Amino acid sequence: MSEVGVLVVGAGFIADSHIRALTAQARATLAGVVDVDPARAAAFGYAHGNARHGSDLAEALTWPDVDAVIVCTPNDTHVAIALDVAAAGKHLLVEKPLATSVADARRVVDAFAAAGRVVAAAHTHRRYDYGIAVRSVIESGAIGTPVAARLSILGGWIWPDWRAWVLDPERSGGHSLHNGVHLLDLVTWWLGDEPRRVYARGRRQTAGELRIYDYLEMTVEYARGGTAVCEMSRAHRPGSFGYRDVLVAGTDGLIEQGWDAESSLLFTEGGLAQVPASGGDAFARQLGAWLDSFDGGDPVMSPDDAVLAVALGVASELSIERGEPVELAETFEAVRA
Amino acid sequence: MIGVLLAGFAGIGDQDHQSAMYLPAWRAQAGARIVAVVPSGAGDLATAQKVAAELGVPCRDHLDAALADNSVDLVSVAVPLAQRADVVTAAVRAGKHVLADKPLAATLDEVEAIATVLAAHPRVLVPALPHRLASPVLSARAALASGRVGLPWNVQADFLVAGGSLAPTGELLNLAVHPVDVLHALLGLDALRVHVRRGNYWHDAPDAPEDFVALLIDYDNGVTGTIATARTGELDGVAPGSLIRHRYRISGSHGVLDVNAGKPALSVRTASAASSPWVGAGPVAALVDATCRAVTSGAKAPVGLDDARHVHRVLDAAYRSLGSGRPEGVTT
Repeated sequence: MSEVGVLVVGAGFIADSHIRALTAQARATLAGVVDVDPARAAAFGYAHGNARHGSDLAEALTWPDVDAVIVCTPNDTHVAIALDVAAAGKHLLVEKPLATSVADARRVVDAFAAAGRVVAAAHTHRRYDYGIAVRSVIESGAIGTPVAARLSILGGWIWPDWRAWVLDPERSGGHSLHNGVHLLDLVTWWLGDEPRRVYARGRRQTAGELRIYDYLEMTVEYARGGTAVCEMSRAHRPGSFGYRDVLVAGTDGLIEQGWDAESSLLFTEGGLAQVPASGGDAFARQLGAWLDSFDGGDPVMSPDDAVLAVALGVASELSIERGEPVELAETFEAVRA
Repeated sequence: MIGVLLAGFAGIGDQDHQSAMYLPAWRAQAGARIVAVVPSGAGDLATAQKVAAELGVPCRDHLDAALADNSVDLVSVAVPLAQRADVVTAAVRAGKHVLADKPLAATLDEVEAIATVLAAHPRVLVPALPHRLASPVLSARAALASGRVGLPWNVQADFLVAGGSLAPTGELLNLAVHPVDVLHALLGLDALRVHVRRGNYWHDAPDAPEDFVALLIDYDNGVTGTIATARTGELDGVAPGSLIRHRYRISGSHGVLDVNAGKPALSVRTASAASSPWVGAGPVAALVDATCRAVTSGAKAPVGLDDARHVHRVLDAAYRSLGSGRPEGVTT
């Protein structure tokens, strides 16, 4: 296959991670950048080898060397952009969540199926070292059938200020859709089972005026009886807090990874800090799998799984609102109707 | 010197916490002396006779006769759960102090019946909820009470045991009792609402009860708590029935306290085995010591009937949640 030209849509901070992955391999190259802010698009293009830039997506999709698109825009824009990309016959890697409703997620997947092009959502945690390592142990059969999981990803970094679109649930879909989907998808991938029910509790810890829940706890029940409890937080103190904890219980054993399992500990006059082990680049792995899938390779995460992740996020938000468990089937009803 | 009667060598299923936990602690306790034993029935008669012979004390035929003994000041109760409330109330009525295996009773109604008797015959009643007295939990409680993390808003707990016999009642009424009480001790807050998820993942018998429980508890002041407890299958290098993961993470407005209640322990490895012997007095020794101090000084015991009542109120809501599939309110 000849070198793939990739258009990046949305020049925010997550685009940098995708660009680093692009520049680290030889199969694809940056074909241009589009952002609603022309100045930001220009600056981004300048910083990345004077790449072509613009603010008109429709025009950019006609640029001759664009074969595929990576979308890094706010969550509520994903659907319209994705449908344009599908109509233009390009492949798509879109930041998670695929969409902010199950119906929209389904529309996107159906559009790409009809266009014969690849669509993938950037659930990067499936490509992190720990995500792969846990899945590998499970696949080896060492712990038998996985039946219960605990995954906590806790931080103290709230988004910069009130202008952050993520804080607007109309734009982000809520924290369950924005970050919660990482955990919901990962534990479901690990357990290899069909989620049936979600019971979630949310908290507005950093400020009472928040309209999203900066702390989420999402409990998922699975068809074969399994259970997963996921915590996602941007609410913890101190602001520098970074804590990930993993427990997967199987019928024949356990997998555990503590908060400091991938780090050395640095003791200084400023206190205790972590020095994370040098690990693999999840964005590079994700990009590689996406490119492979253009020719029929394993995409690692199917479009249906991306829709399922949206359904889990929607169910979580709904459960918090109601204070009761929500059947996952309910979130699909609008699609079936 | 406190005269102790060991009543029963039984519990839920094949448990014998008297022999495994309380007997060694009583023997090591200065200021207390075991003066007699009594079995709970035919099932533990042989054990009672053996212990009596080893200690050189009488093995009584019946509880009434044992309670009539004036040298008995306190009864260490480890009878089957179905008998427990009756034995505890009989001991209290006879004017004896009581240390009772957990859970204190089979139901919330039985706990209330005990409370009624205790109100009429005030004595020291210590339900065996020892983990709140484990040294890291005591330290954590003090740290929280002095504001080290600000206002707590969430607690996550893991209480996982590998191997040992599955409680025939299910582990909700057995293992889960411990972390439910520790959360209450740490937070000093009452539970308001409970949602439960249970599973049977490691025990194949068709009618086997739950060996996994996730308790999702809402407390006063909007604080949430989550407990994952399980009795997994046996693991290599782990003595059956051992706690393999016992942790509490408390998130507060100004910080996080991460408690590994498996500490303080040594790590010992030899050519044939690995072990983690406890450093300092363990929680059961602390419980027995606190019980003795309450009896001799009149000081309030660090765990009492109200704590057992709180546990049973949470369990009562939990069982209702299992029936309804929804969160259920805790009765007050």
